[in-house]
Amino acid sequence: MQIDQKMVGDVMVVTITGDITLNQGGDVLLKDKIQSLLQQGQKKLVLDLGGVAYVDSAGLGQLVQIHATTKNQGGSMRLANTTKKLKDLLVVTKLVTVFDSYDSQKEALASFS
Amino acid sequence: MDARLQVTDGSGRKVVPINKAIFLIGRRTAADLQLNNADVSREHAEIAQDGARYLLRDRGSRYGTFVNGEQVTEKTLEHGDRIRLGRTDAIELVFMTDASSSTHISGLREIGSDADLRQMAAILNGLRALGSGRVLEEVLTLVLDSALDVTKAERGFIMLARPDGELEFKTARGRGKITLPGTSFTTSAKIPREVFQTGESRIVGDLMEGNLAGLHDGTIAIGIRHVLCVPLSVHPMAAAPDQGIAPRVIGVLYLDGRERSTILSQQTRSSLEAFATQAALAIESARLYAEAAEKARIERDLLVAAQIQQALLPTGSFETPFVDLAASSLPCRTVGGDFFDYLELGARGFGFGLGDVAGKGAPAALLAAAVQSNFIAQAPVSSDPADTLTRVNTALLRRAIEARFATMFHGVVDQDGHLSYSNGGQEPPLVLQANGGMLWLEAGGPVLGLLPGATYEFDSVLLQPGDLVVICSDGVTEARNAAGDEFGRERLIETMAGCHGGKPETVLERLFEAVRVFSQGTPQGDDITGLVLRYRGAR
Repeated sequence: MQIDQKMVGDVMVVTITGDITLNQGGDVLLKDKIQSLLQQGQKKLVLDLGGVAYVDSAGLGQLVQIHATTKNQGGSMRLANTTKKLKDLLVVTKLVTVFDSYDSQKEALASFS
Repeated sequence: MDARLQVTDGSGRKVVPINKAIFLIGRRTAADLQLNNADVSREHAEIAQDGARYLLRDRGSRYGTFVNGEQVTEKTLEHGDRIRLGRTDAIELVFMTDASSSTHISGLREIGSDADLRQMAAILNGLRALGSGRVLEEVLTLVLDSALDVTKAERGFIMLARPDGELEFKTARGRGKITLPGTSFTTSAKIPREVFQTGESRIVGDLMEGNLAGLHDGTIAIGIRHVLCVPLSVHPMAAAPDQGIAPRVIGVLYLDGRERSTILSQQTRSSLEAFATQAALAIESARLYAEAAEKARIERDLLVAAQIQQALLPTGSFETPFVDLAASSLPCRTVGGDFFDYLELGARGFGFGLGDVAGKGAPAALLAAAVQSNFIAQAPVSSDPADTLTRVNTALLRRAIEARFATMFHGVVDQDGHLSYSNGGQEPPLVLQANGGMLWLEAGGPVLGLLPGATYEFDSVLLQPGDLVVICSDGVTEARNAAGDEFGRERLIETMAGCHGGKPETVLERLFEAVRVFSQGTPQGDDITGLVLRYRGAR
């Protein structure tokens, strides 16, 4: 799993490529990344998941966790480019209402303005 | 080939040609080979050329001349003979005539006297006899004691590489088979580290111990020390030396003492290097054995855990006057994160549930046990299935383990066929109706243990006699074949299509068989659990 970040205006866009799974330690990597961004004072986050093929249950738990952490620290995290597979997973687990999810990075960014 | 002497002393090794009819060896400046050592007399010995022969003669030296350990007054030299002048072997002379100009004689051939050879052989045999079953600590102690014997050093220690590549102090011994505290070697870290990194032996003369205050141990003299430090290297198996696969350095053997003569001699170093090769093998096998034993212990623990987990699950078949069911769980590892359970709830009917904890193996199994026992405790005191899941969610959040959660379906069926149910993030179960229809049980709420204040809905359907409720964990729908395709919901529907009106055991077996056939031996990536319940009608 690879994590890239870039600033667009005052929003930090975090792009993830690869699987978010327990086996590859992706869940912890992601948590550490978001935690460090929050510590740096980044409150507006977009998580671009367009390059994520597979999220296992540990990865899903971590997504919920970092969403809650962001919220608790006065920030806001939005998902962009969620694949159909991930959307289905969010629907089955009834977690779809937890996340603000957008079909593109552009829409996710626009939601902050 | 010309005759020559290979001279090795504390400062290194050189080869001197014997290029005169009478070749004088001694301490005086006019000698052909001048040696500065208190044991060497001014005119100690000479080598006289006599035709093709070379004759070594003692010139009435004070401390004597020795060839291969025997004192001589006159002797014809053979290629490879070792000449010692005086009482110690601080200076080693090897007479050579053969074309093989090797200045590097490896291993046991370096050992001078028969006594040394016997000693080495005994030690190597001892090490081989150690085999793999010995405790690492014992092996280290034996290696150190033997090394002290071979080298006549006073004390020594072994450091071994940790998995992270750092050297770790293991055992220190002194002459007389005593164990020394590691603190005796306060200043010695630099040399072992260098030897470990380069894989090359180091001989250091006149090393002044820096921290004299730390050396009050009566057996350890304060002052000038001479150090001999060799790598403990394991050579890759079945690799010929010329294949260029570097040996793996697993640690270092460090020795020191005051007596310069033995420690600094080339012979000691070679003996020790040969010895270290055997020692490294013994140490490595003891270490591997310990690791294997530890692994076996963990595996035994896991097997016991698996038995306990199976015991925590109820039996895989059960019947009441109005329902019967079949259930089974196949963990992908020894223990799993899936569970099922059921219980009679008096007038409310018969309760059943199937859950799946995020993750796999032992961590998931522990959490699964917690979720299952919460479920069984809460179900009888809840007003409906949604209430049960809300209570389980709350209970799990009291001891939330970060980002760990569970999914679970829970239903209650009464004797008239009213099925009320709720679902915490599990794939919706399927109802195979006796009349050939299918419906999904969609109501519920989010996964359990993540969201405080999550709300769960419940819904009811009326079952007809012969209707089957099929619940499975995501290990079924997400089972993969060699091509990486998932079993998926469509295949689940196809498989179940022919099962209307069947017996729970038969339907469950059909489902598991379909997953088995589909995955074609691809290793199971997740726990697979299924529960099939049949409503038999009011009695």
